Amino acid sequence: MPTQGNTPTHGDAGLQPERTDLAWGRTTLSLVVAAAIFLRWMPHHGWFAGTLVAAAVLTALAINLSRRRRLHSAIRGIQQNAMVPDIASTAAVAASVVVLAVLGIYTVLFLPLT
Amino acid sequence: MADADPRSGGGRSGLSARILLGGTEPDPRFTLANERTFLAWIRTSLALLAGGVAVEAFMADLFGPELRRTIAVLLLMLALVIGGGSFFRWLNVERAMRHKTPLPLPWIAPILAAGGALVAAVMVVFVLVRAA
Repeated sequence: MPTQGNTPTHGDAGLQPERTDLAWGRTTLSLVVAAAIFLRWMPHHGWFAGTLVAAAVLTALAINLSRRRRLHSAIRGIQQNAMVPDIASTAAVAASVVVLAVLGIYTVLFLPLT
Repeated sequence: MADADPRSGGGRSGLSARILLGGTEPDPRFTLANERTFLAWIRTSLALLAGGVAVEAFMADLFGPELRRTIAVLLLMLALVIGGGSFFRWLNVERAMRHKTPLPLPWIAPILAAGGALVAAVMVVFVLVRAA
């Protein structure tokens, strides 16, 4: 398996692994922006809004910590011309966004502004 | 090599194989493209989420409580449907690629369009009513 330093290399001129890695990176940025906006609820809703901030930041952190693994698995996939789709990552991120949205709706409808 | 040949499905747990409904691994570039498209939908959902919370949290001086709640809940529900739907979209595309069948239509796309139009319409009505 060809490598440069610790990073495996691939021959994909479409740069698919790199673009996918950057797409995950942009997603972490979106999560951090969402977390920053949840911060605005903290003076009104206290720890409950803090939970939303923490959930968004932790999701972003989890994505960032696993980016290297995902990038290498994509490069290996290109090298071997077959890869196992990453169900766990997509399911976890989608579940996190769904939970954030449900908690957001709950906050708007049932928690009075204090 | 530590991991088994992914084409045979030997490297995958039984659960994943059942979720993906068998088939053969597609071109890995398509799998990665599907993943990026999923992430683009997730970011769309996150933008709607942030927008909904921003309307509720920052617009207190501008909108009354009913309008603020309506817009915020509409945006958050749209974020919920797009966020959850993006996973099933990803899964259905992955399954279709594995069985070499035509890709399913993105039903979250018309929902996003209709939802966005609905929120815009509520805003237009609000502006007209307030101007009158």
